[in-house]
Amino acid sequence: MEQKIDTAMDTKKKEAYQVGIAVFILLIAFTIGEYWIGSIAVAWGWALLIISVIKAFFIIRDYMHLPRLFAGDEEEI
Amino acid sequence: MSTTTTTLADYRRREGTNRLGLWLFIISDAFMFAGLFISRFYLLGTAIRPELSQILGLVITVVLLASSFFMNRAETAMRFGDRKGFLRGTLITLILGVIFLIGVVGVEWQIAPFGPADGVAASLFYAMTGFHAFHVLTGVIFLFVVYRNGRKGLYSAERHWAVEASAVYWHFVDVVWVFFYPALYLIGIPGG
Repeated sequence: MEQKIDTAMDTKKKEAYQVGIAVFILLIAFTIGEYWIGSIAVAWGWALLIISVIKAFFIIRDYMHLPRLFAGDEEEI
Repeated sequence: MSTTTTTLADYRRREGTNRLGLWLFIISDAFMFAGLFISRFYLLGTAIRPELSQILGLVITVVLLASSFFMNRAETAMRFGDRKGFLRGTLITLILGVIFLIGVVGVEWQIAPFGPADGVAASLFYAMTGFHAFHVLTGVIFLFVVYRNGRKGLYSAERHWAVEASAVYWHFVDVVWVFFYPALYLIGIPGG
């Protein structure tokens, strides 16, 4: 029973780390994309702002854990 | 003399209230940054931006994003009771935060070919990066306190609100830069 709980915790921990890595890769890819757009297309300011909104969305959801704000007092997210 | 021990249920309830308070503070602080962000476009439009080092801008942005990544790792480690991982992640975040500060205030401000009073673009640049740098500095101090307390063993997997709060604050500072980076470094042509 205890071993089962440990395994479940390990899986949760692994998943949490994986989400962190995936978000970081996404953020770096978007930043390089931004840099590239900024250096070749001066008139594409709107595209850069859309990329910023997407980046902010991932940080707020996965790093700042906004859903925790809406969880119950005893709930663990 | 009586001792008060907080049950885990009480702690969770208080954590929920603290979380709400932190987000209220973050939202109100975000309005200040939003004001600066809107001012940049209102005063310069999308055609002009300050004359800045593009490579330095990209490097400091990557440094700040990396710091957020390590902060997330630190918080995750603490959530699962890995104190060593938490301390390592927090320390790396701290160092990256200091590198970012040096990059902006110690390098970018020094090599910029204008002073704070040299036109609208220059004033906006110093106001935006200055306000942001103050927040980074606050975050670095906050992280140092949390790191020090972590070394003393004050946090556990069940009780680590300070770690979560410092992480959320740090990521907020990152979100602000996510918008400031294109606004200052990428949108428009150098001038103004």
